[in-house]
Amino acid sequence: MYIYDKYDQTIARERVTEFTQQVKRRLAGELSEDQFRPLRLMNGLYLQLHAYMLRVAIPYGTLSAKQLRKLADIAEKYDRGYGHFTTRQNIQYNWIKLDQVPELLAELATVEMHANQTSGNCIRNVTADQFAGVAGDEVEDPRIVSEIIRQWSTFHPEFSFLPRKFKFAVTGAPKDRAAIQYHDIGIHIVKNEAGEIGYAVYVGGGMGRTPVVAPLINAFVPKAELLSYLEACLRVYNRYGRRDNIFKARIKILVRDLGPGEYKRQVEEEWQRIRGTGIDIPPEEEARIRSFFKPPQYETIAEPVHSFVEAQAKNRSFARWVETNVHPHKVPGYGAVTISLKPIGGIPGDASTDQMRAIADLAEKYSLSELRVTHVQNLVLPNVRQADLHAVWQRLREIGFAEANIGLVTDIIACPGLDYCSLANARSIPVSQRISERFADLDKQHHIGPLQIKISGCINACGHHHAGHIGILGVDKAGQEFYQLTLGGAGDETASIGQLLGPGFSSDDVVGAIEKVIDTYLGLREKPSETFIEAYRRVGPVPFKESLYGGH
Amino acid sequence: MAVIDRNGPIANSWVHLADDAQPAKGQSVIVSFARLKNEHNSLFSASTAVGVEVVGDVVLEDLEPFLPRLGIIVVRMPNMRDGRIFSTGRLLREKYAYKGELRAIGDFIPDQARFLLRCGFDSFEVGDAFPVDSLKQAVATYSVWYQRATDRGATIIDQRTSGVS
Amino acid sequence: MAQAKPINKILTGNRLRTGDTVYYTAAGAWSAYVSEAKVVTTPEGVEELDKAGKAAYAANQIVDINIIDVLPGDGAKPSHIREIIRATGPTVRMDLNKPVTPAGR
Repeated sequence: MYIYDKYDQTIARERVTEFTQQVKRRLAGELSEDQFRPLRLMNGLYLQLHAYMLRVAIPYGTLSAKQLRKLADIAEKYDRGYGHFTTRQNIQYNWIKLDQVPELLAELATVEMHANQTSGNCIRNVTADQFAGVAGDEVEDPRIVSEIIRQWSTFHPEFSFLPRKFKFAVTGAPKDRAAIQYHDIGIHIVKNEAGEIGYAVYVGGGMGRTPVVAPLINAFVPKAELLSYLEACLRVYNRYGRRDNIFKARIKILVRDLGPGEYKRQVEEEWQRIRGTGIDIPPEEEARIRSFFKPPQYETIAEPVHSFVEAQAKNRSFARWVETNVHPHKVPGYGAVTISLKPIGGIPGDASTDQMRAIADLAEKYSLSELRVTHVQNLVLPNVRQADLHAVWQRLREIGFAEANIGLVTDIIACPGLDYCSLANARSIPVSQRISERFADLDKQHHIGPLQIKISGCINACGHHHAGHIGILGVDKAGQEFYQLTLGGAGDETASIGQLLGPGFSSDDVVGAIEKVIDTYLGLREKPSETFIEAYRRVGPVPFKESLYGGH
Repeated sequence: MAVIDRNGPIANSWVHLADDAQPAKGQSVIVSFARLKNEHNSLFSASTAVGVEVVGDVVLEDLEPFLPRLGIIVVRMPNMRDGRIFSTGRLLREKYAYKGELRAIGDFIPDQARFLLRCGFDSFEVGDAFPVDSLKQAVATYSVWYQRATDRGATIIDQRTSGVS
Repeated sequence: MAQAKPINKILTGNRLRTGDTVYYTAAGAWSAYVSEAKVVTTPEGVEELDKAGKAAYAANQIVDINIIDVLPGDGAKPSHIREIIRATGPTVRMDLNKPVTPAGR
């Protein structure tokens, strides 16, 4: 993991001082609410339905056991004993008091954490593949470049007041687990024919009311020149992105209006001017950051690991959990465990103080003290010896996080929705809870196979519904909660936008509608191995429309 | 109205000239860009010094021919969320090599001053109620930064790689 | 002549310092409990709430000021689901909900 040097520490400390002063000036009335709002948002502080909400950054989803323990302490001391892991690999607290935020930030800084740029019209927390560094299929660990971008984008003097928010995602593997094409800039680490590492840069993707799968703007930006290229991308946007209409202010609209070709030309022209002017970091700084992501000292373990094989043979529940929740590790004898924060009937992404502490203990004992947060709102223990998997599973059962459902119908993304969020039109969490209860039977879940349901409580799409195989969008219909269904979305390397099926369903009817969609799929799939998304792509929406709305 | 820099109030001899007003003899005047385009010959001969006020959507290519003769460029921030001013500053300094004074005016808040300074601005024109002390404090809060910008002082990366400790 | 739509409105916001959801009361104070909200039924009453909200905002006491609808009849019961949830708490964490009336009344 990256460890702060004295400069990073200085910045973190000065940031606490700055925000402390800003809060003081607001409470004294020197800053108006209109002036303070952008400042508090740049510190991840929202005013929601019941209280302030604070979003703490977890850069590229990487977390130490010590940091998670601090997050648990903060939940206990400043909140109501829980936190919510988000689709941007962050954590948010729901019951924060403004006058306690300075103290909270000072505590966070003691474990090299902050809430910088987790909201606001600036460059947000960079997200990355949760299996960075342990996945066998990656070209390079995406956390190296993510950390380089994190530093470059922190309090950027030119790009802190952009037309709208700006999100980066990075993947180092051909299998895209970071939904990069749904981001303002998606970076795919690639090798060219000469074997050199560089970056394919996608610009102008996003969700919200205008979902767009980002076009490829540059197929190969040399490794040493990424920051100058990004600076050119952002400068064109900062100058020409729309500021007259909040719904048209994202870079996706600029790229669409200019056309990807013209946008690329303008970026290229600016890049040629600024290349080699000291924006890019020198190789020794890249090497310094790289050194923090060296693989840890793994043991040499021969596979098969007999105790692990036997435990699976003896215990079907454990074997099933291994099947869905343990991802292959590049080092023999290890596995990467996804901890499901989706117990049946639970709140997706929520973890209590006690649960966080128990998971921190597991990370310390079994995963070289490291953790990851996934954009599907789960946690990962990336470095578990196969011989320890059974013990990890048992402990997770005790804290209620051993559901063997990763990638299945109950592994649902849900935004906080109208239970917490002041922007929401409808509740998301209760719908996810009822779907999860309806499909609680694990045999049934495995019978259905891989299926991603994603729920947003409003068009802002924090619940990624556009990228759900089944997407659910909550709307307000004359004061009632209604839910529209979209089918066929995907957030991986085959990214596609879900298509609206038809009129929405009431809160009472929506779970039945989801069941009908799934039954229709089960009835038409060619073989059990044909997944929902594959079947949908083969047959299109018509059979689903017919089963939901009849022939008229 | 006051003009300040990172340390507080500074002397100011520039006068904003309304489009229908004529410069007095020996005045240093700031005019609109439209007026500069139409009347630059007479303005430059009648005034001691000429400056222009622009907003974020200014076409810098159109401003370029006047740059060597301008004593000041005032960039207006119509509201604190309009961040085009930061790119405008950097481009004027770094692309067009503008050497005169660069001043911000409008609805910025003290907390934005350090970014403006890093993007090539020298001074700020503010109303009488503007909290000058907060600006000084905000600018002084940060001692280090990661990125290269218009100001060429050492970045964190420079300090790391030069081994300065 | 069209019948004027009946008016049943209250004033709500959040405390700047804590973020707590609060309601404007007949005594001119701000209460955490929706049942203590002052209900107005006339355009003049709405104007009065508007004034009180703006004054509290200008005094940097209350933010996110809104005048919202309540159901006709006794007690201030918000009509829209958003405000029902705001008045009590998340429906998925009943353990964290607050009563609409202070304890003991």
